[in-house]
Amino acid sequence: MTPHSDGGSVRTLPYVDHFGLTSPDLRRLLGLALASGGDFAEVFCEYRTSAFILMEEDLIKETAETISLGLGVRVLKGEMTGYGYANDLSRPSLEAAARTAAAIASGRGRARPRPIKGRGRPLRLYPVRVPAHKATLDKKIALVQEAYASAQAHDPAVVRVRVALGDGVQYVCVVNAEGHWARDVRPLVKMSCSVIAERNGRKESGYHGGGGRVGLEYFEEDLAPRAIGREAAAEAVRLLDAREAPAGEMPVVLAPGHAGVLIHEAVGHLLEADFHRRRTSVFWNKMGAKVGADSVTIIDDPTIPRFRGSYNIDDEGTVPRPTLLVENGRAVGRLQDILSARVFKSAPTGHGRREDYSFWPIPRMSNIYIAAGRQSPEEIIGSVGKGLYAEQFQGGQVEDSGKFTFSVSSGYLIEGGRLTAPVKQATLIGTNIDILNKIAMVGNDLRFGLQTGTCSKDGQDVPVTDGCPTLKISEMTVGGRT
Amino acid sequence: MTAARSRDDLRATAERLVKLGRARGADEVEVQIGRGFEFHVDVRLGAVENLVEAGSRSVGFRVIKDGRTASAGSSDLAWPVLERLMTNAVARAGLAHPDPCAGLPPHSPFSVDIPGLALFDPEVPRLASRTKIALALKTERIALADKRITNSHGAGFSSHHGEVLLANSNGFLGSYQQSYCSLGLGLQAGDTDDLAEDGWSTSRRHFRDLESPEDVARRAVERTVRQIHPRKIATRNVPVIFEPDMTGWLLGFLFGCVAGTAVYQRASFLADRMGDAIAAPGVTVIDDGLMPGMPGTRPFDAEGVPCRRTVVVEAGVLKTFLTNAYAGRKLGTASTGNGDGGGVGPNNFYLVPGTVPPADIVRSVDEGLLLVRTLGHGLNPVTGDISRGAFGLWIEGGAPAYPVAEITIAGNLGELLRRIEIVGNDLDFRSAVSGPTIKVAEMTVAGR
Repeated sequence: MTPHSDGGSVRTLPYVDHFGLTSPDLRRLLGLALASGGDFAEVFCEYRTSAFILMEEDLIKETAETISLGLGVRVLKGEMTGYGYANDLSRPSLEAAARTAAAIASGRGRARPRPIKGRGRPLRLYPVRVPAHKATLDKKIALVQEAYASAQAHDPAVVRVRVALGDGVQYVCVVNAEGHWARDVRPLVKMSCSVIAERNGRKESGYHGGGGRVGLEYFEEDLAPRAIGREAAAEAVRLLDAREAPAGEMPVVLAPGHAGVLIHEAVGHLLEADFHRRRTSVFWNKMGAKVGADSVTIIDDPTIPRFRGSYNIDDEGTVPRPTLLVENGRAVGRLQDILSARVFKSAPTGHGRREDYSFWPIPRMSNIYIAAGRQSPEEIIGSVGKGLYAEQFQGGQVEDSGKFTFSVSSGYLIEGGRLTAPVKQATLIGTNIDILNKIAMVGNDLRFGLQTGTCSKDGQDVPVTDGCPTLKISEMTVGGRT
Repeated sequence: MTAARSRDDLRATAERLVKLGRARGADEVEVQIGRGFEFHVDVRLGAVENLVEAGSRSVGFRVIKDGRTASAGSSDLAWPVLERLMTNAVARAGLAHPDPCAGLPPHSPFSVDIPGLALFDPEVPRLASRTKIALALKTERIALADKRITNSHGAGFSSHHGEVLLANSNGFLGSYQQSYCSLGLGLQAGDTDDLAEDGWSTSRRHFRDLESPEDVARRAVERTVRQIHPRKIATRNVPVIFEPDMTGWLLGFLFGCVAGTAVYQRASFLADRMGDAIAAPGVTVIDDGLMPGMPGTRPFDAEGVPCRRTVVVEAGVLKTFLTNAYAGRKLGTASTGNGDGGGVGPNNFYLVPGTVPPADIVRSVDEGLLLVRTLGHGLNPVTGDISRGAFGLWIEGGAPAYPVAEITIAGNLGELLRRIEIVGNDLDFRSAVSGPTIKVAEMTVAGR
């Protein structure tokens, strides 16, 4: 088990090459991990390369290249997790990681790791044609410059533009003591543009971006860098004329797309199964029960091709499947990882994710959305006498009690069924079951938000997306100013 | 391998990389190597839930050639990998644009008394796992004995110790050891459909400075049960009292607005306000990297600039923006020793305490909000706008009357700073960015 040992051995699993580990090595590590009586053991190997380009003040200011390599060993004993990891791949370090994980159990190990076999038919969700990690830096710099120039040219009020392009490839390989072996090679690309516009002493900012598990063809076929720059600039300039958002309870219409962050916060997190086995989520005792309006159906789908939140296997090696969480207002599903699936005696749904090898996997969302309904967006806006149309979002947060917030960076007042004055910066707050019951109309225009989102839980960040059609919430607290 | 031997190896790797970068054609090279060991245990309902131990290391470097910068990082310290990354970086620098402000800080003689900073507690690496697990179990057990507590998010104990080493081609070579440990607890009170949640934690560099399990449990219980059965209030403008952790949150936002990187990019509403009265006269804010034993203390920053004490706001007047070498050159000043991970970060960034006890501040409010937690994002450094979900206690007649939830607070940092009426005397460096209780004369609290 020395690093960089002679590769190409027939016993070496593909993608474990960077570790110089053979199948017998991995079985030996798993055997060590189970030596104190653990129920389950797993080795997660990760090698990740990433590149980054930053442009601001008309200059390509910096480029960066990063390599991350490490291996984590996990042992389960009942609901207990032992975890050790190492990025120094010497034999003593790897064995120490396995022994650390083993120590969660105390006793004599009986289980022996099974022979390692592949599992299932792999998904192929990332049909990349022009891999970003193989493209020349010149080509990527040209994309950054295109977004930058377009933002700058959009309006004389634009005073600052910042464009970042990051791309990376994550090679993961998961082997467990039940003999399952799975691997994935996950590309990830993200371009983001932030703009500051200034007029008559007033400053505002705008943001736009895109990407996903795609190659550079994305910037030709899906979203051109110049569109990213233009949209970011347009938001900043529009906000220069925006007034303060109103404060108090009022009807709120959510624009299609990134308002899915509401579903992410209000529903998704609270259907993550770890919060159910601990009985801390407000939903833990409501499976099968009505938790929202009839028109509300919510799905988390890790299998949407090319999306940022998608993966061919999760970080426990499970092939994921679309998971129905809420059906016609009834809570029907949870996001399960291996541990919670064992506790609930159900199948993992393929939602065990981790930020990198230094973390153990926990149940996470991937791409969550609320299914399209029947009403047209015009009908929905037209039904509101006085309220808020929330268009762009910064993100949100929820606690297990179901209280959640999300931040609107820009929107419009609705007056007499029409969008009128632009408004800026407001926080919306509510309690999830209350708000789910107040979803009065669901549009027919399902869209997904920007392919730039990241979700944080227990200190771990993973890429996600969320989506929704135009939604009307009959009443919600809007935190503007009076 | 002994610790000293391994330290020599890290130093040799750093110096070898600096030499290699120069040989490949870089004008300047800076290498940082970190090495650490972490322990973490979560316990819940009386049993261990997660147990983690691991050692790790990483290297980061940047090169500058003809005013063009490239950087790289790796958790793989194998020399062939580092060699390839360095060769790539020097080549890549050629594709960036020349920037007259790029470059390492000038060499400054290094004269900080590192042992005197008390960054490292030798007891932390020696703590037995069972001691640490027992502390977490005890903390949770004490809290769960209170019948008002209905569920636990668990208690946890973490410790970390490690070493930071920095070398550059201007002749800087420095390293220091540091440690941290923390003990915390999260609780729920009330039933599933009317939950109150909160917790408490203590985090210090020295094990002996941690709060006791009894104190952590007591604070966590008090903070949780005081939020049971919240009410929703009508929208209005009232005085708002920030508890110390909330002042810390506000100061974190202020830091983002006085960071030189935001200032030169004009991404801060304070960019043109140097020398102006931006806050009430009772407000003095300091960044100090040299306070012995404190969480944000370090002898030198990420660029090898010696840390120092910098007055940022003095009696309400904006005095200094905090910079690294690059932002300093952009703004025509020297680095303030705030270089951090390629950008600018706080050392110990704090609001200087006043003389009024927090209880007297509460007594001064006839009707208002005692802010205890916020939820969500809603901070915009470009404008200073603030809008967050909030939890608190409603104050009537100078005393907390009932908890409130599902409200938001909104305002503007510039206005808030000018409206700070009282600064409390209860500063405790629970984290690197800290402040005492404060009273803000008026904010919009939105509810019904």
